[in-house]
Amino acid sequence: MRYALTFVMIASLGLAACAGVLGLGRGSPSHPFEHRAHVDKGVSCVECHAGISTETGAGPLHLPSAADCARCHREPHDRRDCAGCHGEAHVRGGAELARRHLRFEHGPHTRAVKGDCVRCHVGVGERDPAAIRPSMATCFTCHQHKDEWRTRDCDACHVDLAAEDTPPASHLVHDGDFVREHGVRAASARDLCAACHSERSCAACHAAGLAPALPSHLRFDEVRLSGLHRAGFRSRHAEEARADPGLCTTCHGERTCVECHQRTRVAPGAGARSPHPPGWISTARGGGAHGVEARIDPAACAGCHGGAGELLCVSCHRVGGPGGNPHGRRFSSTKDKLRDLPCRLCHGGGP
Amino acid sequence: MATRIHGIRAALLAAATALTAVLRADAQPLRLRADAVAETRSPAPAGLVVLQGEDKLRPWLGVEGLVWAGARTSGAGGAGVQPGSDADILTLNARLREPHGLGELRAGRFVLATGAVRPVQLDGVAALARARWGSTVELFGGTPAAPRLGDRSYDWLAGGRVAQSIASRGTVGVSYVERRSRAEIADEEIGADLALAPARWLDVAARSAYDVTSPGIADALVSAAARSGSVRVELFASHRSPGRLLPATSLFSVLGDLPSDTAGTTVRWAAAPRLDVLASGAGQVVGGEAGGNGWIRGELRTDDRGDGSLGAEARRQHVSTARWTGFRLIGAHPLGRGLRFTSELEIVVPDEPRGRGLVWPWGLASLAWRPGTGWEAAAAIEGASTPEHRYELNALARLSRSLEVP
Repeated sequence: MRYALTFVMIASLGLAACAGVLGLGRGSPSHPFEHRAHVDKGVSCVECHAGISTETGAGPLHLPSAADCARCHREPHDRRDCAGCHGEAHVRGGAELARRHLRFEHGPHTRAVKGDCVRCHVGVGERDPAAIRPSMATCFTCHQHKDEWRTRDCDACHVDLAAEDTPPASHLVHDGDFVREHGVRAASARDLCAACHSERSCAACHAAGLAPALPSHLRFDEVRLSGLHRAGFRSRHAEEARADPGLCTTCHGERTCVECHQRTRVAPGAGARSPHPPGWISTARGGGAHGVEARIDPAACAGCHGGAGELLCVSCHRVGGPGGNPHGRRFSSTKDKLRDLPCRLCHGGGP
Repeated sequence: MATRIHGIRAALLAAATALTAVLRADAQPLRLRADAVAETRSPAPAGLVVLQGEDKLRPWLGVEGLVWAGARTSGAGGAGVQPGSDADILTLNARLREPHGLGELRAGRFVLATGAVRPVQLDGVAALARARWGSTVELFGGTPAAPRLGDRSYDWLAGGRVAQSIASRGTVGVSYVERRSRAEIADEEIGADLALAPARWLDVAARSAYDVTSPGIADALVSAAARSGSVRVELFASHRSPGRLLPATSLFSVLGDLPSDTAGTTVRWAAAPRLDVLASGAGQVVGGEAGGNGWIRGELRTDDRGDGSLGAEARRQHVSTARWTGFRLIGAHPLGRGLRFTSELEIVVPDEPRGRGLVWPWGLASLAWRPGTGWEAAAAIEGASTPEHRYELNALARLSRSLEVP
């Protein structure tokens, strides 16, 4: 019995600790403001948020002060500021951000809904509202904004979306595996992405050919970033490239491999050994492993042997050469084999 | 001719800069950021400065730029390269926009990516026109960016995209792009893209590019995601023909087609207010050989603001000759007064070491200081055992400044 009691106590303490760590419990005395209790008592919103019905989008926020509370609560239970416990800092912060980043006037809206604030601020009716600021979907219940959506005309409400730096509540891309997913998601909506993201956002990764270290790589202290090239990428980059042939080519140029290898002195001529395994090239039928591997990931070959290095291949695989026909069974091309590059290297007179 | 093209490109970029200066009056605050980074890894660059800025000069006109300048040690850049400095422009462009969003024009250096056209940095112009009934027409042209405004005579890229929205539920588009390298055709592709949101909880996106030069599908991707409460499930599939992704001027583009295909799922679960779990698994066929990969990642924020966090990730790759297992741990802990300690550890175990070491451990410990005045400073020690070096130790430092003018 004593052991069972001890176990229950330890388990309870553990669960309580976990609840706090996981964010299920509350570590601070502040809690959501008791809007529902006030509504149930028949207190009108404008009694505390005085002046909201004529608000024009400028000036201070219409958040009640301790003096406003004291008009009804004449004997406060505590001498500290009411807002220290009643109401949460992040909710007030949300209101401040909205004032800064949105073009919005409470005045006309209050008149349009005849003072029924809950039509937009649906959260105040709940016992534990996570946020009182209405979502954009709430705006869309009255304002269709279909034309603005089609033309990406966000400026009518948002002062500057890029500066706002607030992801939408239910975003299409940011919740998942962003690095893999964003390309296909952005294909049909490049201009929608551009409503928030500047060119620099794209260039931070896609300018790989122009910078020795991209801005996205400079933030070594942001360990929560989960980009493709994080952590010990240099060690595993060859494995990553082999696992998904052609993926590197979608951002990196044909010469990226050799340029980096030359910089880091892991390249032919710098005393490095051949990266190819035994049996890579053979005089037997099939020519060894290199033929199949080159078809699986030709970009890997081009990374070192591209440009002038192609002549190494041509020396064997030219028409009539000992290497034979390098084209796969399903190869076809609209190019003129005697005049166009690269066909003429083998079929014509050379470069 | 080469000099002339070079001159036109430089003039275009200079014009974007001049426009910024001329139209500064009564603009919104100019946002600037500068990062200076130094590291001891040799022969990598010893120092790097990245400058970026953006401004909305008028509601219809915005400009932005991102440039870097660096100093290299001896040996950086290849054998025979002397110590010195270098610089380049990553993006510098102006964006004009019709006040009601019916059209826009971008000019300068920018990343072009639209429809099935894969991202390319372009020195050129892109124009877009929209109709209120949901039609969109895009046209673009220019020369693909070369390092240090280098010579790329007779290199150009041009194309366009036509799209139509479908009853506010989706968009379908068709694109065409042609790219020349030294006047020889390097890419000619027709693409199609689709985005649909048939329900509030479901969205689908797809794109595919068809190679005209070497007839066949160059790449195709599809992704469908469904959300319910704290769970998001995504199904994805891709087909990629690596030979068709290379420029058609490359000898390695004519070897035939051994495509790689992938299909899998990713699940995100917000398990608790401070705990997120993300897991993914996929089957792959690479060069006719079946395999797969999978990973699971968990992140626990140790405070409501997310300043502190603990994370763990396990990963397995098993396809073709790429077979390895990896583990990663992260930790971030605020120390107060703007100080933050972060650490990261990764261990990769290759199935076939082939003389490259049995385990590739990598670790980093950093201390960052953000006093909240626009300044940031961070320093880190990075250690690793890599396929090239048994032991490697590197020190990194960064100093950053963000400001708004005026």
